[in-house]
This record gives sequence, C-alpha cells and structure tokens, in this order.
Amino acid sequence: MTKMLSNKLIITLFIMPGLLFFACFILIPLIYSAFYSFTNYDLLQPYTFIGLDNYKELIRDGDFYHSLWNALLMMLALIFIQHPIAIAAGMFAQYLGRGEKAIRAVYFLPTIIGVVVGSMVWSSIFSTQFGLLNHLLDIVGLESWQHDWLGDPKTAIWCIILVSMWCGFGYAFLLYYTGLKGIPADLHEAAKLDGASNFQIHTLIDLPMLKPIIKVNVILAVIASLKMFDITKLMTNGGPFKSTHMPLTYMYEEAFSLNRYGYGNAVSITFVVICLLVTFAMNKMMKSEEGEA
Amino acid sequence: MLRKLGIWGTIAIIAVLQIFPLLWLFNFSFLPSSEFFGSSILKWPDPFHWKNYSDALTHGKVPQFFLNSVLVTAVTIVMTTLISIFMAYAFTRMYWKWRGVVLGIILIGMIIPVQTTLLANFLIFKNIGLLDTYWSLILPGIAFNIPISTFILTGFLVSLPREMEEVAVIDGLNIFGLVMKVVIPLCKPAIAAISVMVFLASWSDYINPLTFISSESLKTLPFSIIQFQGQYSSNYGAQFAVLTLISIPSVAIYLLFSEQITKGIMAGAVKG
Repeated sequence: MTKMLSNKLIITLFIMPGLLFFACFILIPLIYSAFYSFTNYDLLQPYTFIGLDNYKELIRDGDFYHSLWNALLMMLALIFIQHPIAIAAGMFAQYLGRGEKAIRAVYFLPTIIGVVVGSMVWSSIFSTQFGLLNHLLDIVGLESWQHDWLGDPKTAIWCIILVSMWCGFGYAFLLYYTGLKGIPADLHEAAKLDGASNFQIHTLIDLPMLKPIIKVNVILAVIASLKMFDITKLMTNGGPFKSTHMPLTYMYEEAFSLNRYGYGNAVSITFVVICLLVTFAMNKMMKSEEGEA
Repeated sequence: MLRKLGIWGTIAIIAVLQIFPLLWLFNFSFLPSSEFFGSSILKWPDPFHWKNYSDALTHGKVPQFFLNSVLVTAVTIVMTTLISIFMAYAFTRMYWKWRGVVLGIILIGMIIPVQTTLLANFLIFKNIGLLDTYWSLILPGIAFNIPISTFILTGFLVSLPREMEEVAVIDGLNIFGLVMKVVIPLCKPAIAAISVMVFLASWSDYINPLTFISSESLKTLPFSIIQFQGQYSSNYGAQFAVLTLISIPSVAIYLLFSEQITKGIMAGAVKG
C-alpha cells in the first residue's frame, strides 16, 4: 500500500491535469497580461513597447481611483449594512420552527437565480418608464421623490450596491443561520438557568461564537466587492459619466470598448496586485487577532 | 408578545423585500406590454398573455441557448470533479515531498479574480483558434473551479478513514480503480456539494461568454435577455417572460438540492 502510494509516476499523473489547468489558464495569462501592460497594443495595429507609461498614466488616472472607491463603498455597505441584517435574521430565524426551511428558500431565491436575472429585474424596477419604484412612490404620495435612479450619478451607485446586497443576502444569511444552528444548545440552557435574557444570550454567547463565520463572511464580502462585474456591466455599463465603474468594468471598457488593450492589462495587473495585498493583509489581521484571543 | 411581533415582523419584511421583485417579474410576464404602465402594483392577468412566452421562446432563442448552457455546465462539472478528486487524493493519501507547496500554489488560484485573466485569455484564445468555441467557456471554467473544489475534497478526504481503501487494495484493485470505485463513492456528499457550486457559477456565468463568444449559435442562457433587449426593446412582457424562463432551471436545482447547496456553501466558506 505504502509503495503504491509513493509511486512517483502515479502522483505525477494525478496532479498534472490540475497543475496544467492552473498554468495554462491562470499563470500564463497573468504573464501575458504583464507583458502587454508595457505596450500600447490596441488589438488592431502592431504594438510598440512604451515601458512604464501605462502605469504612470494609471497612477494619475482619476477614473481608476473612482472605481476603487466604488469597490470600497460596496465593501463597507456589505459589511456594515447587509451583514448586521443577515446576522439578526439568522438569529430570529432560529425561533421560527416549521417555517425555517421556507424562509431559507425565500431568502436564497435571489442568489439562486443569479446576478444576470437579478440585475435585469432591478433595472426594470428603477426604470423611469414603468419602474416599480417610481410607481410605489406615486402610490404613497411621494411623487416628488420620483427619480431617474440609474441615470443620475448620485443615485446610480447606490442602486447597484442595493442590488448587490439583494443578490448576496441569501448567501450571507445561510452562513450565519447554519453557524448559529451549530452552537451547542446546552450553552443557551446554562445561560438561561443563570438568568440571562434572550438579548444577553444573543449578544454575549451567539455573537462571540459566530466570530469565525463573521470573519469568513467579511472576507467573502471583500472578495465579492473586488470581483464585482456583472451587475454594473448589465445595469449601467459604468455610467452615467463613469460614476459606477468597478475596477473590472473599467478594465473591460478600456481594453475592449476604447481599444486600449495595453492600458487595460496595466489595470488588470495592478488590480491583481491589489487583490493579493488585500488578501495578505486580511490573513495577517485575522491571524494576529487569533493570537490575542 | 411584542418580542414575537418584532421577530416575525423583521423576518417577514426581509422576506417581502427578497421575494417581491421576483413576484412582480412573474406577474408582469403574463401581461401585455401596454399594461405595464397601469396604476396598480400587481395585476391579475386577464386574460393570461401567453404570447410573451411564445415570443420569448422564439425570439429569445431560449431553447438553443439553454442547450448550450447545459453542455458547457455539464462538461465543466464532470471535468472539474474528476481532476480535483485525483488531485485531492494525491494531496491527502500519497507520499511526496512537494505536497504542501503544490497545494499552496493551487490554493492561490482561489484569490486571483477570474476576470483579471480575461484580457490575456481573449488574445491567447484568438491566437490558438479557441475564441468563439465551447472550449473558451469550458477550459477557464474548469481552471477556476479546480482550486476551491480540490480544497473542499481535500478537507473531506482527510476526515475519512482509510480502511476501506486498504481492503480494496488487498482485494486487488489498482490505484485508478481505487479512486474510481472506492474513493469517488465515499466522497459523494462532497462531490454533490462542489457540483452544485460549479453549477451555480457556470450556469450564470456572463463575463466569459460576453468576451469569448460572438456566434449566435454558441451563446448561453444569460444572453437570451440581452438578445431581447437589443432587438425588441419595447416588448417588456416578453423580456419578463425570458427572465422567468431563465430562472426556472436554477429554482428547480435549488428545490432538488437545497441540502447539498447548504453544505456546499458551508464547505466553500470554510476556506477563509
């Protein structure tokens, strides 16, 4: 058995396909991307090397910073709005008994149908022509609040953040809900015997016990905001006036719509570095916190 | 009493917020476009405007795009699972020096956003003639699902006892037979979980087909909507019917596999 399990040929056969996929579709593209980030390639004419020019331009590119700012806004909204609601809902759902499964399904439905359908539905809701939102405002007598929600740079980004919270809520909820389910019941009972109120049980027992799940969810929220693409692309395509761009939609537009493929690659490479740094920093932070505890 | 009201109230409000947009969609998919501009929020369709659905099926190319989605998703799931299970086996059961290093490299794949390889893959695929083929969707799909799937399977295999495998080997199975006939059946729960995760990612994938596919005949389901928006922009009813039709397979998958989805998400999340 041991001999069979240390057969070099078999080990190579087992891991090679996976490594090949990693090399061909993750590693080599990144090298390619880095290469073209030093050129002025436009996908049409032959390119020349322009050294660090793309990166120099990127450093002064206000639109790129704005896209990063939008990603940060999204991150903060997910962490400080979506997640507290998801935690509360997760706690409340524990009292439901029979209805738990149905509620779980209802909350998860937007996640399951995917962001493409979600974005299109919400585009209709925000529509000025027959949109549900303006219609509702009309009904409750707030006509003056009616608005071209996706056409105004001030509100468009919030619409996109809202849709992203809506799509991802079920996911966050599910993690908190199952995490809470996993807390041993005798902990609650012991606390009750000691005279703790339900509020105390939730804040003093459940919340600390949820800490690992909260961490995971925060990491997922950060990753989700960094990777954000579909909703913006489908709902506003970065507009109006580039106000809703996320780093990846910005990269896409530069490369394919404006034919600045070289510059798009510089955006892409810079963004990979940002992602790796953020992940590294988060891991560090989470680790050092564990060290203290 | 008041506390109960608060709990139920909160749960109900969130439920309405989550589901109402979809109810609205479903409801209006049965209305002619002219009735979209009426005065009530939900309307009983009188009569049901089935023409939206026939329009959706014919102009939205739903059946054709659906088959493309099925093909791409199915191949991605099967290939990802097979490759990941052999890798996970090598990582957890076999003895070799660079185990930790290679696992580390694979896991880096989880951090790198798929979309950052998009521009490069576009050019690479163009140069080697993969652009505008099913492979341009399937291959990157597999590559980016392997890390998380391998991670989940590795975690699962570590927790399994080895006795079954030893017995099988004594009975004369070689190592490929062992993985196919013993390990894969043992890993069924984990495989179900990753299959569902890969399904969700692949089925609603939008960015890859948007970039790599230009032929009408190869487009996937999400493109039915875009198809409609461009050419029949004022036919709102049919657009809503397309959206409803696209949602049905995912909802069916959820109803069939809700336990696996929960497990898959929990397993997938633990990686943090």
